[in-house]
Amino acid sequence: MVTKLAEKQQSSPSTGGKSATKWIMTLLSSSIGQKFVMGITGLLLCGFLVVHLAGNLLVYVGADAYNGYADKLHSMMLLPVAETGLFLLLFAHMALAFKLTRDNERARHISYQEPQSKIEEKPSVFSQTPMGNTSGWMFLSGSIILGFLVWHMIDMKLQLNPTVDYDGKKPYGIIVDVLGSYISAPIYIVGTIVLGFHLSHGFSSAFQSLGLNHPKYTPLIKKLAIIFALVIAVGFVSLPLWGFFIR
Amino acid sequence: MSETLDLTLKVWRQPGPDASGRYVEYKLTEISTHMSFLEMLDVLNEQLNEKGEEMVAFDHDCREGICGMCSLMINGQAHGPDSGTTTCQLHMRRFKNGDTIVVEPWRARAFPVLRDLVVDRSAFDRIIQEGGFISANTGSAPDANSVPIPAPVQETAMDAAACIGCGACVAACKNASAMLFVSAKVSHLSTLPQGKPERDSRVQSMVAQMDLEGFGNCTNTEECQAACPAEISVSNIARLNREFLRAQLCSKE
Amino acid sequence: MADTANTVFNSRVPDGPMAEKWDRCKQEMKLVNPANKRKKKIIVVGTGLAGASAAASLAELGYQVESFCFQDSPRRAHSIAAQGGINAAKNYPNDGDSVWRLFYDTVKGGDYRSREANVHRLAQVSNNIIDQCTAQGVPFARDYGGLLSNRSFGGAQVSRTFYARGQTGQQLLLGAYSALMRQVGTGRVKLFPRREMLDLVVVDGVARGIIVRNLITGEFEKYSADCVLLCTGGYSSAFYLSTNAKGSNVTAAWRCHKRGAYFANPCYTQIHPTCIPVSGDYQSKLTLMSESLRNDGRVWVPGGQGDQRRGNQIPDAERDYYLERRYPAFGNLVPRDVASRAAKERCDAGYGVGSTQQAVFLDFRDAIARDGRHAIEAKYGNLFHMYAKITGEDPYQVPMRIYPAVHYTMGGLWVDYQLQSSIPGLFVLGEANFSDHGANRLGASALMQGLADGYFVAPYTTSNFLGSQNLPDVSTDDEAFTEAMANAQDRNSKILGVQGTRSSDSIHRELGHILWDHCGMSRESQGLELAMGKISDLRDEFWSSIKVLGQGEQLNQNLEHAGRLADFLEFGELMVRDALVREESCGGHFREEHQTKDNEALRDDENFSHVSAWEFTGVGNEPVEHREQLEFIEVPLATRSYK
Ligand SMILES: Cc1cc2nc3c(=O)[nH]c(=O)nc-3n(C[C@H](O)[C@H](O)[C@H](O)COP(=O)(O)OP(=O)(O)OC[C@H]3O[C@@H](n4cnc5c(N)ncnc54)[C@H](O)[C@@H]3O)c2cc1C
Ligand code: HEM
Ligand code: SF4
Ligand code: FES
Repeated sequence: MVTKLAEKQQSSPSTGGKSATKWIMTLLSSSIGQKFVMGITGLLLCGFLVVHLAGNLLVYVGADAYNGYADKLHSMMLLPVAETGLFLLLFAHMALAFKLTRDNERARHISYQEPQSKIEEKPSVFSQTPMGNTSGWMFLSGSIILGFLVWHMIDMKLQLNPTVDYDGKKPYGIIVDVLGSYISAPIYIVGTIVLGFHLSHGFSSAFQSLGLNHPKYTPLIKKLAIIFALVIAVGFVSLPLWGFFIR
Repeated sequence: MSETLDLTLKVWRQPGPDASGRYVEYKLTEISTHMSFLEMLDVLNEQLNEKGEEMVAFDHDCREGICGMCSLMINGQAHGPDSGTTTCQLHMRRFKNGDTIVVEPWRARAFPVLRDLVVDRSAFDRIIQEGGFISANTGSAPDANSVPIPAPVQETAMDAAACIGCGACVAACKNASAMLFVSAKVSHLSTLPQGKPERDSRVQSMVAQMDLEGFGNCTNTEECQAACPAEISVSNIARLNREFLRAQLCSKE
Repeated sequence: MADTANTVFNSRVPDGPMAEKWDRCKQEMKLVNPANKRKKKIIVVGTGLAGASAAASLAELGYQVESFCFQDSPRRAHSIAAQGGINAAKNYPNDGDSVWRLFYDTVKGGDYRSREANVHRLAQVSNNIIDQCTAQGVPFARDYGGLLSNRSFGGAQVSRTFYARGQTGQQLLLGAYSALMRQVGTGRVKLFPRREMLDLVVVDGVARGIIVRNLITGEFEKYSADCVLLCTGGYSSAFYLSTNAKGSNVTAAWRCHKRGAYFANPCYTQIHPTCIPVSGDYQSKLTLMSESLRNDGRVWVPGGQGDQRRGNQIPDAERDYYLERRYPAFGNLVPRDVASRAAKERCDAGYGVGSTQQAVFLDFRDAIARDGRHAIEAKYGNLFHMYAKITGEDPYQVPMRIYPAVHYTMGGLWVDYQLQSSIPGLFVLGEANFSDHGANRLGASALMQGLADGYFVAPYTTSNFLGSQNLPDVSTDDEAFTEAMANAQDRNSKILGVQGTRSSDSIHRELGHILWDHCGMSRESQGLELAMGKISDLRDEFWSSIKVLGQGEQLNQNLEHAGRLADFLEFGELMVRDALVREESCGGHFREEHQTKDNEALRDDENFSHVSAWEFTGVGNEPVEHREQLEFIEVPLATRSYK
């Protein structure tokens, strides 16, 4: 440790800069760099959510609109690329989530008897929950989301939901069945509500991780995060509610 | 005029760095509400000494909230229940008769317990030694007024420079992250014109050392800010992130 | 041996006109060539302003430095607690300040008991300090144009005080600390925190090392070097209650004294008038409230004795604004020693307020009425907040209660112009030496002195020492090290061995009472004689009935405290003796026998224009007094008057 700086000062200042791989590695291996990736991937996933929600809300317009949207989507040449990208984002987000959570648990190897928050005004809906301060609530919510996503893939990609009859159905028919399924509906309801909580912290947190903070707009972002989380959660949760109870 | 309290204390006792520890209960009676929390512990220690038990070890020095030596997790809160207050400035009038008070050391892998409530915070010094300075050899300074610094910049730097290095941020963070401490120093130095030349190398070295020491990562829960006796803002953490990214992406090092 | 040795000291003050002395001294100094610097090792004990700045500067020059402090980090030295500010003769406000005026004010403020040449050098380098600190990133307050701002402090007629909110000491120390840590990073400074110096090792008459106790493991360690710099701060904690930190001690200085370093003017202590009063017998320390409060607050006591009403319930007609009454010209802004004594006088006469009746009011009612609460809050908000936190009272509604408290010690180890003690190779910097403040220190000048010594004086003078000596190598296996280590260990085992009944706190409190009662704000011969006996008895009691549990080979805070107390008990007697032989009143030293008819200090320049430097002759033995005659050539002797 002692020598690090000494060496730095003795070696002549580099003129050409570090090689690309080297600085990327340092970035990605540092705690802040990893949080940076968390934030970027999280926000990109948020972007996906917006598009995804917009598309899905078409079920309320009617079968034709929804089928049209689905057909167009599936006819896109770039869809596999986009899906791979999406998967990679999610994978990176999750892999880092596991890594950072494990690091964090190690950093506080012995816990306190009864830790109590000193925050007087809770910044987000998320931390107002009773679990707001228990270690790894983001991780827990993330894991629930993961469970939900896995099921969602089973429903939509693998088409293996035993309560849904996929044969010869148009997308609209499938989605209506899925949303009405007594297995899927509860999972979707829980999954998307938890997603809302995840975002109520995650959305504003990402800005902080990316270094985007200013007294002028940070309070705004915090409010926006709550609104965003609400819109996403309400939007998505409405679908299984509609599918299961109303239809 | 002065009221008194009867209290039950549950104090972490640990004979040495490698020994195992446990909570020990002590009863105290007639504690004046005017006492500071540490004076209450002094009373406890006097009584222990009288009874032939070794005193509880706890760090403290200035007892006026500035040296950053005192610590203590009091009922699960770093420096106790008051905001913007160190343990030495916490007074017993904040407690009620009959209260049970749990007193624990700062807990973090990077802050190993040395004895009872005393922990080793030298990790902070090692972080500073990696870059928490402006290189200005004695005698080399230009006239102090040669570089004007706008008052708001000055104020921002001073806000961050107020950190007393107590480690409450680490203690309060669920991840034992040192980001508030590191960000305070990086902010102090990088906002000032004098600190600009070393801006990139400073933040990179300090963050590398912070990671090496085994502190956790920031998950932006902001408990550090609430626990900080010097009221350092988490906006400094954002600035640290910014500085770090800037250094990674734009510097030649 | 004779009681008083009228030794002519070699204070090594260079010849020539005052303004040229320091330059001349530097020109004549020996240098150490860069290659040799790397081979020279320097021990710096203490990491306050003096120690951290010296260690950093010496390492920058290329020396190998070893730096010690008893706290867990160098950043926690008690310099951190200074609130008010630091003086310098920059004259940025264009109000007529100059090096000469700062020099003059400091000599006068010290009541003509300091060494002129040292004070002049202090004023000379004061400006460099501000430059240096600014370059390090110390965030001094600035005006809207971005230039440095100054305030007037401690009754000075010019604005020469630089400040960083109410945390000047903290910011200056963090600057010095960062410079130090930078050198730790380069490997040129080795840091030894949580180490307490327990002895000085003198080999062939030269200071060559120290013995420390590792406060975590309890082990004793030996360190050798080519010279030793002692920067261990003041000894106000002898009084138990003071504004100093709990760990502040005289131990390092005292053990050097026992090895032959002269202790100068130990009785010069400064009592600060605006501290939060004692609230009960559990009190462990006193908190200072910045002197600046007296700029707007009015000091008073009730006109009648034993008045227990709350301050805001006492009508104007029944108030005695005694400072304004006695000192119409300066009013509430009289110097510290004068304000403190006046408060004591009123309380002793039975006019004190609060439950202990050892307090006076500091009232902001009129200032709030004049300027509005908002303005007062802007100026003193943090102090009011601190007061409220400690006392549980709202100072916007009820007048503050304040009382003087021991704050600073002008006395310390004797040093010559080059800051070398009477032991060659032992240099003493900062509050630990006696040099620059005479019998009373002006506000904002201790920070200045600590940094002057560390950044700009010691690096030259220690180099001069190292350059002019041909010191043989010394190893820590040397006999002197073994002896010193055994000595230190022995003392600790003795303390642990007593296994008596009294706690160190209780004995320390008792010592504090003795010193406060008899050697505090005012002193008289009978009381001092009494105190000498009491201290010596208490010391015996310590060694027969102290109770320290646990082992030596562990973190044992009680043992640390007891060890420091043992030294205070030896030192206390010297302090009282010094007060006794100084048959005059000057600055912080007020002898009741020597006052004017309106109770002002009466100096005796004829007989006491000297420094008393004491030589140790054994515990309980009468020490030898050496005198360094002081000459006042540039600043002619005059009586301080604040009427
Ligand atoms: C509350 C308060 C407010 C003040 N305000 C002002 C102000 O506004 N302006 C001003 O000019 N002055 C002020 N002063 C005075 C000034 O702060 C001090 O005189 C000055 O900072 C002393 O610096 P130093 O480096 O000599 O010692 P310190 O800062 O006290 O440092 C002493 C160092 O020595 C070490 N040490 C001590 N004993 C041992 C030992 N036995 N073994 C090993 N290490 C040891 C300690 O660990 C520490 O590092 C104030 C003082 C106090 C108490
Ligand atoms: C649609 C899916 C998801 C979205 C939109 C999303 C969004 C986000 C966002 C915006 C953040 C904030 C990043 C930051 O603080 O810098 C975040 C953090 C996090 N996410 Fe997700 N996430 C999703 C899925 C998941 C999954 C599947 C996991 C699985 C384990 C997960 C675990 C975490 C964790 C542990 C954090 C870190 C929390 C923190 O640092 O405070 N997330 N997420
Ligand atoms: S940031 Fe606050 S809590 Fe953390 S070390 Fe600094 S003062 Fe203490
Ligand atoms: S003891 Fe110094 S901050 Fe509490």
